[in-house]
Amino acid sequence: MAPPRTYRAEALTLKSAPLGEADLLVTLFSKEAGKLRATAKGARKSTSKLVGHLEPLTLTRISLNRGRQLDVITQAQTLTAFAPVKSGLAALAKGMYIAELVDAFAAEASPNEPLLQLALETLTAIGAAPDDDLPLLHFQLHLLAVSGLLPELHNCVECRCAIEPDRHRYSAAGGGVFCRDCAPVEGGLRPLSLRALKVLRLLARCRQSQLPPLTLDEPLHLELKSLLTGTVQYWLDQEIRSRAFLDHLSRQTRR
Amino acid sequence: MTLEHLPSAAPSLARLIQELNKLPGIGPKSAQRLAYFIIRLPDDEAAALAAAIHAVKQITFCRECQNLTDASPCSLCANPQRNREQICVVEDPLDVLALERTHCYRGLYHVLHGVLSPMHGVGPDELKLRELYPRLRDGGVQEVIIATNPTAEGEATAMYLSRQLADSAVKVTHLARGLPMGGSLEYSDEVTLSRAFQGRQAV
Repeated sequence: MAPPRTYRAEALTLKSAPLGEADLLVTLFSKEAGKLRATAKGARKSTSKLVGHLEPLTLTRISLNRGRQLDVITQAQTLTAFAPVKSGLAALAKGMYIAELVDAFAAEASPNEPLLQLALETLTAIGAAPDDDLPLLHFQLHLLAVSGLLPELHNCVECRCAIEPDRHRYSAAGGGVFCRDCAPVEGGLRPLSLRALKVLRLLARCRQSQLPPLTLDEPLHLELKSLLTGTVQYWLDQEIRSRAFLDHLSRQTRR
Repeated sequence: MTLEHLPSAAPSLARLIQELNKLPGIGPKSAQRLAYFIIRLPDDEAAALAAAIHAVKQITFCRECQNLTDASPCSLCANPQRNREQICVVEDPLDVLALERTHCYRGLYHVLHGVLSPMHGVGPDELKLRELYPRLRDGGVQEVIIATNPTAEGEATAMYLSRQLADSAVKVTHLARGLPMGGSLEYSDEVTLSRAFQGRQAV
């Protein structure tokens, strides 16, 4: 039986681009259908009833008509606008980073509700504490987890022995931590401080809302950021373009 | 489409079709239709089209506002009647035309030629932002009016610019955001409605 001509979805808008004279091509990540690209007719006109509900980083309930190539959004209703994320530059830059990563890791016609929930929880956490770096670190680690790529953090990837304090190294390509005696076939080994390993284990077992108040000093934050961004980038195998703007903003803040 | 694909057309016609086919949104059939339309044009109209295409390639950036212009500074920047205490920052040259149609702004402009779009790799260095700062240093400018679009990327650009100008003596304002004329409360999203409330005015 042919699928119904119209359907509904609950989706987070990831990005949009102009299409034709006044339309928008919107990329969404939906609970029901995974990533989908759809057109919003006339959405760039100032009186459009759709455009405000389809702004990037908005959770919206949409109705769509199936099209030959792209589906057409006929109705949209905001469920959560994540207004606090959009009202500050630091939070908005982090939100765009999340949208880019979800777009890159999500597959079309392949629902992944844990990834959607993770993105929504992270946006809520960032809206509540825009300058806290922990939510973004947590997001990157759990992005790997919901994609089946969580690095091993307890036992040596090679010999499976329990990792002893200060006797370990890390490799994104190898899939996690290695004991001193083992080395992965591929290179890319890097040191991993015991403090960073403990924070990673803590992040791995907590949901975003359960994170304890934790203040990371600058060297620890930089180590975790470099390790997690490096691992995400390794699996993605492409540049994360919004990272450059995030780094630009944090350099300005430090100055 | 190459000339070999148009063996039966006259070489000059085939060349025109080939060139038109390079334009965005113009496929081979549309290119052929446009070419035959141009053939049927009176000589003076065809010459005017050719001259317009030639002239538009002489366009350059205005050294002041970065708008596209035939001569630098552009007619707006060179006009002594314009208010030199205000600079309105817009995303692209079409926004200048839209604002000029309102006849309610008499200041100068600054065209960024884009907005911050981290997901597409467009950062501050890719915009004409650096050219704005020297214009504010001589003390003549009292107000910078940010008129980027009320989209996520436009807002990011506005917030970034206001942060860059936070330490300067210049007043930084932003165009009001809220309900459009002909719009409807019922269909408005909550961000638009809350912005409309924040920007409400006494009547």
